[in-house]
Amino acid sequence: MDTAIVRVLLESTVKIALFFFVMLTVVAYMTWVERRVSAWIQDRRGPNRVGPLGLLQPLADGIKFLFKEEVTPPHVYLPVYLLAPMLIFVPALVTFSVVPIGPSLDLLGHRIALQIADVDNGILIVLAFSSMGVYGVALAGWSSNNKYSLMGGLRSSAQLISYELAMGIAIVGVLMATGSLRLSDVVEHQIQNGWNVLYQLPGFLVFLTAAFAETNRMPFDLPEAETELVAGYHTEYSGMRFSMFYMAEYANMVTASALVVTLYLGGYHVPGLARLGLPETAAAIVQVLAFCAKVAFFLFLYVWVRWTVPRFRYDQLMNLGWKGLLPIGLANVLWVSFLVLKGWA
Amino acid sequence: MRVEFFLLMAALLFTIGCVGVLVRRNAIVILMCIELMLNAVNLTFAAFAHENQSMAGHVFVFFVMTVAAAEAAVGLAIVIALFRRRRTTDVEDASLMRW
Amino acid sequence: MVLLLGLIAVVAVFALARTFVPARTVPVGAALGAVMVALVAYDHQELASLEFWSGLIGFVAIMSALLVVIHPNPMVSVLFLILNLFCIALFFLILNAQFLAVIQVIIYAGAIMVLFVFVVMLLNLKAEEGLRLGGGPQRSGAVVLGVAFAALMFYAIRNRGAAPYFEPESFDSGFGTARGIGRLLFTRYQFAFEAASILLIAAMIGAVVLAKRKLR
Repeated sequence: MDTAIVRVLLESTVKIALFFFVMLTVVAYMTWVERRVSAWIQDRRGPNRVGPLGLLQPLADGIKFLFKEEVTPPHVYLPVYLLAPMLIFVPALVTFSVVPIGPSLDLLGHRIALQIADVDNGILIVLAFSSMGVYGVALAGWSSNNKYSLMGGLRSSAQLISYELAMGIAIVGVLMATGSLRLSDVVEHQIQNGWNVLYQLPGFLVFLTAAFAETNRMPFDLPEAETELVAGYHTEYSGMRFSMFYMAEYANMVTASALVVTLYLGGYHVPGLARLGLPETAAAIVQVLAFCAKVAFFLFLYVWVRWTVPRFRYDQLMNLGWKGLLPIGLANVLWVSFLVLKGWA
Repeated sequence: MRVEFFLLMAALLFTIGCVGVLVRRNAIVILMCIELMLNAVNLTFAAFAHENQSMAGHVFVFFVMTVAAAEAAVGLAIVIALFRRRRTTDVEDASLMRW
Repeated sequence: MVLLLGLIAVVAVFALARTFVPARTVPVGAALGAVMVALVAYDHQELASLEFWSGLIGFVAIMSALLVVIHPNPMVSVLFLILNLFCIALFFLILNAQFLAVIQVIIYAGAIMVLFVFVVMLLNLKAEEGLRLGGGPQRSGAVVLGVAFAALMFYAIRNRGAAPYFEPESFDSGFGTARGIGRLLFTRYQFAFEAASILLIAAMIGAVVLAKRKLR
């Protein structure tokens, strides 16, 4: 093998390893953030015993999950039962790989893009793998051979199909404004012409709502609705396998937040940074930090909404998806096409 | 890589799908086997498009996918209607219109 | 080539061992894994070749297609069909049809197969007979005809006219992109495109009417 291939392989491996590490850490600490923020919202204290401010709580939880007994009920369909937790975790990680977290910069004499894969069809890959997420939930529900799990799985597949459509329609607006399927071009276009959220607010709101639904978070967490379905699709899972679902939820939240930021809030763009005249590396670091801050805001929003808004009823959920978000998304497409026609976007 | 490899692969997949339609009795599996055959045809289209450097083949794949989506939607609706009436998805039980 | 055939043989032996002596699966699997590592060490150059990967993908595609037909459980059939669709998406990538590859995943794996999963869950189908070859002339005849058809296709493809090699480097960068397909769709195939949209609406209405419990 020649050196070019080796270099590319090495670079990708390092990026993937780094990304994996950061992602898992963020996921672990999101569980802590969720509990602390919920406690704050409800005027409680939250976990504060393990380490300062309870900061070591995720570690303790991880150890607990590892040492818990894994109960495999006798009535499950084992191959699919084991496959489902993996299927739910993978799409969140794969989708993140096309998101640019910073500009490309020179490092050790090489031009390195701060993105795992800068592919031509980035937006389409996002759509493709976000639609894979439904399999994990649906198969977990089906293979558990339990009516509550089955109901949870059924609800989730209906919900994910409905909201994916709204999500796709919202993305069409971004696509039309950019004229490219490459996510780095989307960010570049927003740096040139201002953030997409300024031009297509309805599209942004539709995408954000659909992202909440796609991650099965609170106003839309019908698949696992505790009060009616025990725990929905993961009723029959325990120990490490249950924690896979738990982590996948947060990984999906991180990915969805990163997508919202990239598509509508200018990605790593910081307005007015170019005028400061920082050296390239310092500017890149500031931009990566800005990206992280934007993502962190949306992660906080997720938690905030969860502890504020009550759950939808199933028919309300479907009505919102098909009669609310879809028409708004289509109107947004019309509006953006008008802008593009006039040359304003 | 020769184009023949992909053509052969497509021929094999098509045969498997075709035999599946004839052998299986579950309506859902039969629909799946039809998808298998459509996919094999798609692969041939892409292989020939590649050989002839013409993107017309890609456009045809696009249309085949449209037809496949329509077929799956209607086919599965029929399966659900059948299941509601007869409590089965076996095509041999749908014999009311048979002489 | 040696590597590919060796790996396929290893997988086949492992499958046979699992079927016939399930108690010895773990030692056999360990031994075969060692053989696999030895094979890779013996011929690691081939790991970088396109032929090896397309052969491997082809093997997985054929196996998953066979399992779609053979497996008694409809849900498992759906899963293997999804695997097969992914293999074909990879083939599309090898054939420089990158847009088709992504569209394949979005439409087939992301939409159509979800519909199948949904219906299998809705009807709560359990495992049934699976492949039963003994029932009547249609089943045995189908297999014979299938083999004959495959042989015929094999013969036809072998005796095709002059078949040029393709060089992946010789392609212009626009081949297979969304832009290229879009241009063709909205110029030369405009009418077919509009007709396809009407087809989709018709299918949608048809599906709703068929699946509705009570029409009024």
